[in-house]
Amino acid sequence: MKIKNLFSLLFVCAVGFAAVSCSDDDDPKWNDDGSKVVLPEHRMFILNEGSFNLNNACIEFYAPKKDADIIDDIFYKQNGVRLGDTAQDMIGYKGNIYVAVYRSNYLAKLNAACVEETRVSFIGDPDLQAGIRYMAAEDGYIYASFHGGVVAKINAKTLQVEAKLHVGSNLEGVAIEDDNLYVANSYSQGESGYVYFTDVFVIDLRTFTKKETLTVVKNPNDVIEEDDKVFVISHDYGRESYVLQMIDPAANNSVKELCYATQMAGGNDMLYIVDSRTDYSSKPWTAHNTFSTYNIKTGKLNQTSFLKNAPVELGTASIYMMVVDDETGDIYLGVTHYADSNGEMYRFKKDGTFVEKFDCGGQNPRRAVFFD
Amino acid sequence: MGKYHHLLLSFLTIIAAVSPLRGHSETVVPDTITTGTEQKVGEVTVTARKSPVRVSAAMPVQAISGESMSELGIQNMADAVRRFAGTNVRDYGGIGGLKTVSVRNMGAEHTGVSYDGAPVSNCQGGQIDIGRFSLDNVSMLSLAIGQSEDMLQPAKLYASAAVLNIITATPEFEGDRCSAFEVQMKGGSFGYVNPMVRWWQKIGDRVRTSLDGNFMRADGNYPFTLVNGKHVTRERRSNSAIDSWHGEANIYYDMADGGELQVKGYYFYSKRGLPGAVTLYNPISTETLWDKNGFVQAKYRKEFTPQWRFLAIGKYNYGWNRDREYGNRFEGGMYQDFHTQNEYYLSASAEYKPADGLSIALAQDGIINKLKSTIGGCPFPTRYTSLTALSARWRHGILTANGTLSGTYVTEHVKSGDKPEDLKRLIPSLALSVQPWSSEMLFFRAMYKSTFRTPSFNDLYYDRIGNRTLRPERANEYDLGVTWSRSFFPAMDYFSVTFDGYFNNVNDKIVAFPTTYAWKMANFGKVHITGIDITLATAFSLPYNVNLALSAAYTWQRALDLTDKSSKNYKAQLPYTPEHSGNAGVTVKTPWLTLGYSLVGVGKRYYLAQNIPVNEIAGYVEQTLTLGHEFKFEKCRLGLRGEIINLADKQYDVIKYYPMPGRSWRLVANVKF
Repeated sequence: MKIKNLFSLLFVCAVGFAAVSCSDDDDPKWNDDGSKVVLPEHRMFILNEGSFNLNNACIEFYAPKKDADIIDDIFYKQNGVRLGDTAQDMIGYKGNIYVAVYRSNYLAKLNAACVEETRVSFIGDPDLQAGIRYMAAEDGYIYASFHGGVVAKINAKTLQVEAKLHVGSNLEGVAIEDDNLYVANSYSQGESGYVYFTDVFVIDLRTFTKKETLTVVKNPNDVIEEDDKVFVISHDYGRESYVLQMIDPAANNSVKELCYATQMAGGNDMLYIVDSRTDYSSKPWTAHNTFSTYNIKTGKLNQTSFLKNAPVELGTASIYMMVVDDETGDIYLGVTHYADSNGEMYRFKKDGTFVEKFDCGGQNPRRAVFFD
Repeated sequence: MGKYHHLLLSFLTIIAAVSPLRGHSETVVPDTITTGTEQKVGEVTVTARKSPVRVSAAMPVQAISGESMSELGIQNMADAVRRFAGTNVRDYGGIGGLKTVSVRNMGAEHTGVSYDGAPVSNCQGGQIDIGRFSLDNVSMLSLAIGQSEDMLQPAKLYASAAVLNIITATPEFEGDRCSAFEVQMKGGSFGYVNPMVRWWQKIGDRVRTSLDGNFMRADGNYPFTLVNGKHVTRERRSNSAIDSWHGEANIYYDMADGGELQVKGYYFYSKRGLPGAVTLYNPISTETLWDKNGFVQAKYRKEFTPQWRFLAIGKYNYGWNRDREYGNRFEGGMYQDFHTQNEYYLSASAEYKPADGLSIALAQDGIINKLKSTIGGCPFPTRYTSLTALSARWRHGILTANGTLSGTYVTEHVKSGDKPEDLKRLIPSLALSVQPWSSEMLFFRAMYKSTFRTPSFNDLYYDRIGNRTLRPERANEYDLGVTWSRSFFPAMDYFSVTFDGYFNNVNDKIVAFPTTYAWKMANFGKVHITGIDITLATAFSLPYNVNLALSAAYTWQRALDLTDKSSKNYKAQLPYTPEHSGNAGVTVKTPWLTLGYSLVGVGKRYYLAQNIPVNEIAGYVEQTLTLGHEFKFEKCRLGLRGEIINLADKQYDVIKYYPMPGRSWRLVANVKF
């Protein structure tokens, strides 16, 4: 009896294992249709902004599990054309990549292997001609901010612009929390010079109307959502550095100034913060970076660096982006050399241990998307 | 501002009052080389001005005449300058595109430009757009590396690392005629129309006048091939139309005591679309630039005795531009800014020859530059500059030595914020030339020059980017060369060759530097440039009145960025610097036709600082063919010329994503009477 039961158990296990195996073979996790390369399951795509006027924006592929080689410009490899001029934003949504290219002024939907499925150009729409900036996605729609003061509601499947909302002037970062879109109204440029605003608009996504204007520090730019909070970095040139603020939607959208920060990233229930300042006291001028964390759950700012054994050069490098891999908790810091040379990515474990550094395959690494 | 006008007018009046009179024919020393055809070895007396090109020159000088430029189908000033060895012309494409020249890679800001002997400046941007100068009335264009040989020149030209001299045509009259007229019409591809009129008049024995005017318009919407990976499309440049007017009036007064006075009035106006770089997937371009530039300059030159010569120049220069762009990222859907520059310039120089073979010259300049701009944060700067140059030349036996010590003092006033520290700088230069055998036109030369460029108003004050603590950008030039000229057989008019090896270092290079808040100008860069320039020119007088002239130039250059040892582009070739470049030209003059053919070749370059394959731009060869003839009638001459530019229809960029036109044509009809 026991032997019979044992055989039954083994049979069930074998069938189960075979079923799982068949499932993996027949139903791949990601849509790689049209791919010219075989990619592993775990993927990181890095968006390089490129340099103004040089049409050298690109996307690099990196395998976080080190089970495939880096591909410098996977967009070109897969699609046979260049990404365009000055890439601005890239998000992952429902197994697709959405990439916004500011000066080429279009939005493209790519599959998980960076093969382009469709794109929409905004150059023929007078409302959207000034250029696409940042994106957030929810309920089958991409919400994109534009210079010129428009938020567009774009069908994530077809990329059709289904509605436009005119608010503010030159809009920048966006984030979604609790059916509300938070949009930074940054600046306007007129004959008398630049005018910097202090607005973050709150747009009700159910009605796609503006329902509130929050006052933040001058020139809000970067906006992210993490753990039900919205974080904003304002580029106030009158302060000693950029200013990090937290908007608490649960507390009537109250705005609280946290600290100075030039870059931020959310993950592991933390907000990772970099404050980069230039020392003008001696020549050549040098950037000095300080690394800190804000515990979103406890509301405590920890000014001890979250990096343990970072390469020395990272302390003075120009950090252009930061991102956390939700799956592993690994932290990635993208360093720029502007138009001089390709950027580099520094990878750290969740505990801050340095893992490696690699070339980004393009200039000015700006965004990254993970497929885990 | 009014007081400066009065000051200048008083100066011009004094010059006019004290100016004596002199003829203008000159005897040319027979050792000239040009890249063209107009000069011959052998002592000749010509009524044109002498060529500044000399194999005996201790500092490299190259030149091309207006006639050669026509025969070779040279299209504009930038096209001419890029045929000089060692030059790097940045051409942003099209007829109206910005064109600047950097000599031996020191940067365009180090290149001085003189127009009929008076310096041209742009204190706002630092670089001179040579594209706006018309070639129609240019008789000679020369490039002196270091400085030109003429000791009687403004101190500002002594202080430049290289000087591009533009010499305009002076009135000449056949026989006993008192007037001469010229009407010219050019037309060509892309809506190019360029009529020109000229009137030369003699008033009495001592006064000649000239009046030149031309209008130019072009659609500039030339087709080009855009390669975007697998997509190869034919596109057209858009928003690249240009209208421009250019007029000049000159009075030449040959004074009774041998002095010469030239007063010139100049006006230029242009409205041009700025197509910008080709942006993939987005052809929209809405920027338009208006420029106005007017100046009045007076030049007085006199040889008091065989030992004493004197030169004085006064100039008032007005520059204005308006930049407008449409787009809904701007408040009200449109943005425009206005900039106005005023310059007041005075220069006096004197040369004294105390003994045989020894000359000493002293030049003193005073300059006031003012800028008004509507861009936010403009502090309305005024710059006061004093330049002094003491130079000496000593010829003894086989040796000629030239030495110069140039002093600069700059102080600025601003209406808001801090003013930069005053600038005081002394820079030396020394050049030697040795002619081992007096019977042989073979020279060995060596040159050292220390130079610098003052930060421009944009470098110092541009909204947010400017930095008022900038120091001057410093450069050192070293040159070793050999020149040789001779004729090997009677049919050969001359054969001349120059070979120069050089090394330049540029320190404290002014570059845009990223900081916490924005880019900011900083003294950060360091560059070493090593190169070789070779030029060759020869001409033949063949049977049946056939004349053949050949010229060629080649440059090899390594320009390495030594700014930051830890960067990926440490010791990388500077962007847009080909290792190999060169050009060649041939003209064949027959009694029936004049044929010109030229080519310009540029090797592969990098358009970004990091020397990796993805940043390469392919090299190119551009060829031009011209065919023309001048018909002589009893009282007039009719010139007809056809030009095919970019004969092989080569698609290339000088600056990445600023495509140059493919094959195009021009027809030129010219009547002189």
